[in-house]
Amino acid sequence: MGSNASIMLQQEDLQNICQQTGFTAKQVQRLYSRFKTLDKRDCGFLTREDLLCIPEVNINPLGERLIDVIMDDYGENNKINFKQFIFLLAKFRRGRVKSSTTEFNTRDSKLRFLFDMYDRNHDMKIDREELLQVLKMMVGGNIHDDQIATIADHTIGELDSDGDKSITFEEFCKTLERIDADDKMSMKFLS
Amino acid sequence: MYQNKHSIFLIILLGFIIHKYYCKEQTYEHKPNKPLRFHVAEFNFDHVSDVYAITLWILLGSLAKIGFHLSHRLTEKFPESCLLIILGLIVGGLLYVTHLTEQKAYVLNSDTFFLFLLPPIILEAGYFMPNRPFFDNLGTILLLAIVNTLFNTICIGLTLWGFQFTPLYGGTQFEMLPCLVFAALISAVDPVAVLATFSEIHVNDMLYIVVFGESLLNDAVSVVLYRMFASFANIGQPNIIVMDIVLGCLSFFVVALGGVLIGIIFGVIGCFTTKFTEHTPVLEPLIVLVYAYLAYLTSEMVSVSGILAITFCGMVMKQYVSFNISKKSDATTEYVLKMLSSIMETIIFMFMGLSTVSDSHSWNTGFVFMTILLCLVFRVIGIAIFANIANCWRLLELTRIDMLIMSYGGLRGAIAFALALVLDEAKIARKKEFVTATIAVVFFTVFIQGITIGPLVKLLNVRRKQIEEPTMSAKLTNRMMDHVMTCLEEISGSGGSNSLRDRVRNLDRNYFKRWLLREPPDRKDIKLLQTFKKINTLTAMRVHDTARGLVPSASTATVQQGIPEHHHLRSHSAYGNVSELIAANLPENTVPDLMSYENHEGEHHHNDAEMHHFLDTNLYSARPRAAIHLRNQDETGSSDDGTHARFEKSYHHRDQRYLPTRLERELPHGPKTISKTVHNANRPIALKNLSPKHTRSPPTTHQQPNPRSRSRSIAAHQHSPIPSGQRTKSISKDSRISPLASTHIENEGTGRTAAERSRPWRHLSITEETGASSSKTANIPLANGNDPNLHHIPLTVADFGGTYTKSPEYMGEYATTTKPEEPSSRPDVRDIFNKQSKDVSEQQDDGSTESITRL
Repeated sequence: MGSNASIMLQQEDLQNICQQTGFTAKQVQRLYSRFKTLDKRDCGFLTREDLLCIPEVNINPLGERLIDVIMDDYGENNKINFKQFIFLLAKFRRGRVKSSTTEFNTRDSKLRFLFDMYDRNHDMKIDREELLQVLKMMVGGNIHDDQIATIADHTIGELDSDGDKSITFEEFCKTLERIDADDKMSMKFLS
Repeated sequence: MYQNKHSIFLIILLGFIIHKYYCKEQTYEHKPNKPLRFHVAEFNFDHVSDVYAITLWILLGSLAKIGFHLSHRLTEKFPESCLLIILGLIVGGLLYVTHLTEQKAYVLNSDTFFLFLLPPIILEAGYFMPNRPFFDNLGTILLLAIVNTLFNTICIGLTLWGFQFTPLYGGTQFEMLPCLVFAALISAVDPVAVLATFSEIHVNDMLYIVVFGESLLNDAVSVVLYRMFASFANIGQPNIIVMDIVLGCLSFFVVALGGVLIGIIFGVIGCFTTKFTEHTPVLEPLIVLVYAYLAYLTSEMVSVSGILAITFCGMVMKQYVSFNISKKSDATTEYVLKMLSSIMETIIFMFMGLSTVSDSHSWNTGFVFMTILLCLVFRVIGIAIFANIANCWRLLELTRIDMLIMSYGGLRGAIAFALALVLDEAKIARKKEFVTATIAVVFFTVFIQGITIGPLVKLLNVRRKQIEEPTMSAKLTNRMMDHVMTCLEEISGSGGSNSLRDRVRNLDRNYFKRWLLREPPDRKDIKLLQTFKKINTLTAMRVHDTARGLVPSASTATVQQGIPEHHHLRSHSAYGNVSELIAANLPENTVPDLMSYENHEGEHHHNDAEMHHFLDTNLYSARPRAAIHLRNQDETGSSDDGTHARFEKSYHHRDQRYLPTRLERELPHGPKTISKTVHNANRPIALKNLSPKHTRSPPTTHQQPNPRSRSRSIAAHQHSPIPSGQRTKSISKDSRISPLASTHIENEGTGRTAAERSRPWRHLSITEETGASSSKTANIPLANGNDPNLHHIPLTVADFGGTYTKSPEYMGEYATTTKPEEPSSRPDVRDIFNKQSKDVSEQQDDGSTESITRL
C-alpha cells in the first residue's frame, strides 16, 4: 500500500509539502498511506464519519469535538483533503531545535489549537457555556449540572484576570506557562 | 545542636554501661549463699537489652536528624546522608576506642538490612512513585537499568581483573570471577542513596525518574548477576559449561518478571481486601503495609527480586486503595510510610558509618582507586551510549546536561555494602579488599558526588522541579492535551505513548476499577473531580489558616471601628476563589476582639450568614469522591452529644423555609430549647416575618426543578451581584433580619426563595430527602417541598435529621467558633469538611434513617 500511495503523490507536491511542513519525504509518504487507509471510499478526502470509524477516536470523550475542530478550522464543507490533513498534523511535529521549527509547530500554534478546542464560536474568548460543554464531555456520567457549573466557575475564576467572566487567549496562555505544553502537544511521526 | 549530640552520646554510653554492669549483677544474684528475698524493684536489663538497644538507635537517629535540621547552614551544604555517615563514624570510633562493646554486634548485618531496613524505603518509593513520568520514561529506564547495568558490570569486572597483570595492585592476585562478583555489586546504582540525594536537589521529574527508576529496576539485574557470578565462583571457573550461562540469562527473566508478578498479585489482593474494611477502618493502613511486606518476603523466599515486588505492589495499591479507604487511613498510610522510610534511611546511613570502623579492612590503594575511577568512567560512557540510543525513540530528547547529571547521580550505597558483607570468604579470598573498596566507593559517591551535585545542578541550570499548587485550569488542559494527542496519534496512525496510555486507562476503568473499588466510578474522569475537591479543601484550609479559625475577623475589626461592614464581603463576584477574597478582605493587622461580638450580635450574625452563603456557593464538595468515602458512623466521630450540639448549631443555618410551625411557635417563648446562645433570638423573628411569603412562591418551582433550570439559576445567581450593600444594610438595620432574608425579599418577584437561590442543589436533595424519610417514617403526609402549606407539617425527628445531614454545618461551626461563649469548641476545618462530605455520602446511601437513629 505504501509504495502504491507514494506513486499517487506527485513528486512536486511531495517536495512542496516537505518544505513547508518540515516533514521528511518518508514521513509524508507514510502519512499519505494512512490517509488512504482512512479514506475508505477512495474519494480523496476524509469526512467526519471516516474519522469516527477509528475506534479510539470514537470512544474518546473529546473525539467528536476534535473532529469538529478539524473539519471546521482545517477542512472545508466537512471534508478534509490530504494537504489540509498534513498541515494539521504538522502542528504537532516535535519542534524544539530551531531548525526543525516551521511556522506550523510553534508553541503558540499548538496552544492556539488547544484554545480552539474550547472556543467554538471563534470570538477569541472561552466563555462559561463553552467551558461547560467541554467539562461535560470530559467528565460525563450522571454528574450534576450544578456541580459542573461550580467547576467551570472556579476554572474561569482562576484564569480570568480582567473580570469579564471569560478567558481570552492571553489569559489561557498564562496558566499554561508552567505546563510543558510544547512537549505534551508533540508526537513522534514514524518515518 | 551540639548539646543535643552530647546528650545523645550520654544516653548511648549509659546504655552500654548498664549493659556491662548488668553482667556483674547477674553473677551476684546467682551466688548460692545469698538468701532469697523478695525484691521491691528488680533491675532486669537482660530482659529488654536487644530491643532497648534498637530503640536507642532509632532515638539517636531521629535526634540526630532533628539536630541537623536545626542548623540551616549545615544542611544546605551537606546532604543529610553525609552527616549521618559522619555521625556513625564518630559513634563507631567511640565504641572502638572505648571497647565498650563487641564491635560485631553493631556492624550492619545484611539480614537486618534486607529484611527490615530496606523494604520500607522501597515501599515508600513505590507508593509515591510519580506514575505518569515513570511510564512515560519506562523505555529509557529499562534500557538503562538492564543493559547499562550489564554493560557496567562486565566492563568494570573485566577491567579490574585485567589490571592485576600490572603492578598497580602491589602484587595482590584477583581472580576473574570474584572480580565479576564484585563488579556486579558495585555497578548497581543504589535507590536509597539516589533518593536521599535527589530529594534534596529537586531536579525536574523526568531526570529524577530516569535516575531513580534505573536504580530501582536494576535490582533484578544486579541480583541475578551477583548470584550467577557467586555461584560460578562456587562451581569453579574450569567447570562452568555453556548451559550454566544460558540458565543464568534465563534466571534474569524469572527474577525480574517473577518479582513484578508477585508484587502485582499482592497489590491486587490488598486492594481487594480494602473493599471490605468499611467497618474496621483502623486496620486499613496496616493492610497496605502488611501486604506489601508480604510481597517482599514472598519474593525473597522464592528468590526473585524483592525490590521489584514491593515497588510494584506499592504502585498498584496506590492506584486503588486510596479510593477505598477512608481519608484518615489514607493520610495515616502515607505518613507512616514516610516516617518508616525516613528513619530506616537514617539508620542505614548511620550504620554505614558505624560499620566502617572495624578491623576487617584490607586497604589496597591501587585497587580502591581503580574501582572508583572505573565506576566513574564506565558510568559516563554507559550513559552516553544508552541515552543516545534512547533518544532515537524519545520524544523529549535527553540533552548533554541531562546525561551529565544522570551519570553524576549514579550513586552507590548501602545495598552494595550489604551485599559485599555477605560474600563468603572461603570462596572469595579477597573479601576484605572488596569490602574496603565498596566502602570507599560508597563514601566517594555519597560524599564527593552527593555534596557537589547540588551546586552542579545550579551551575548547569538544570530545569528544576516546579512545586506548584494544583489548579483546575491546568488539570483540565492537561487532560485535554492527553485526549487530543491520543486522537491525533490514532488518526495519524503513529500509535505513540498517548494511545497506549489511553488503552491502559480504559482497561483500568472498565475492569480493574470495577473489581477493586467499593464503588466503581460511573464517571469518565474521576480525577478531574478529585482535583477540584483537593483545590477546594486547600483553599478552605488556607482560609482557616489565614484567619486563624476566625474567618469573619475582617468584619470584626470593622465592627470595632464602627465602619459599615457590608461592602467587605460583597465583592465576591470579582474574586475567583475564597482565598483571594479573604486576602482582599483582610485588613493589615486584624486582632479579633472577642468582646465586640457580644455587643454587635446582629452584625456578627449578618456576616456569618454572608460568609456562609459565600462559602456555600463557592466551595462545593465534589460528590463522587464523597460517595466513595463512605464511612461508618464511628468514623465521623459524632457521638450522640456531639450530634445534638451540632444540630443546635446547624439549626441556625438551616433553610428557613423548612421551619415548621410548631418550632416557630415555640421559639419566641423558649429559644433555649433550641440554642443556648442568646443572640439567636432575633432569628426566629426574622423567620416569622418571612414565613408567609413562602406560601406565595409557586409550588411548581419546588417540584423537582429540572437540572437545566437549576444550573441556569445558579448561573444567574452568580453573575448577578448580591443586592447592593446599601440596600441590604438599610433593610437589615431596620428589621434586624439576616441578609439571606433580605435577598429573599428583593428577589421575590422571580418566585424563588432565597434559600433555594443560594443552594438549589441542596434544596433539591433536601426535598428528596425529606420525601424519602417521610415515606419511611410514615408520619409526614407529604414531602415538604411539594407542600406549599409548610407550616402545618409537624416537626419530626426525621425532618430535622434530614436537614441536619444536608445543611452545611461547616459554616455553622464557623459561626459558633467565633462566638466568645464557646472558645473551646473550635473545630478543625479539615474535620468539618470531612464530615460534611461523609454526611452527604451517608445520606446518599442510607437515607435519613441513619440520622434518625443518631438523634
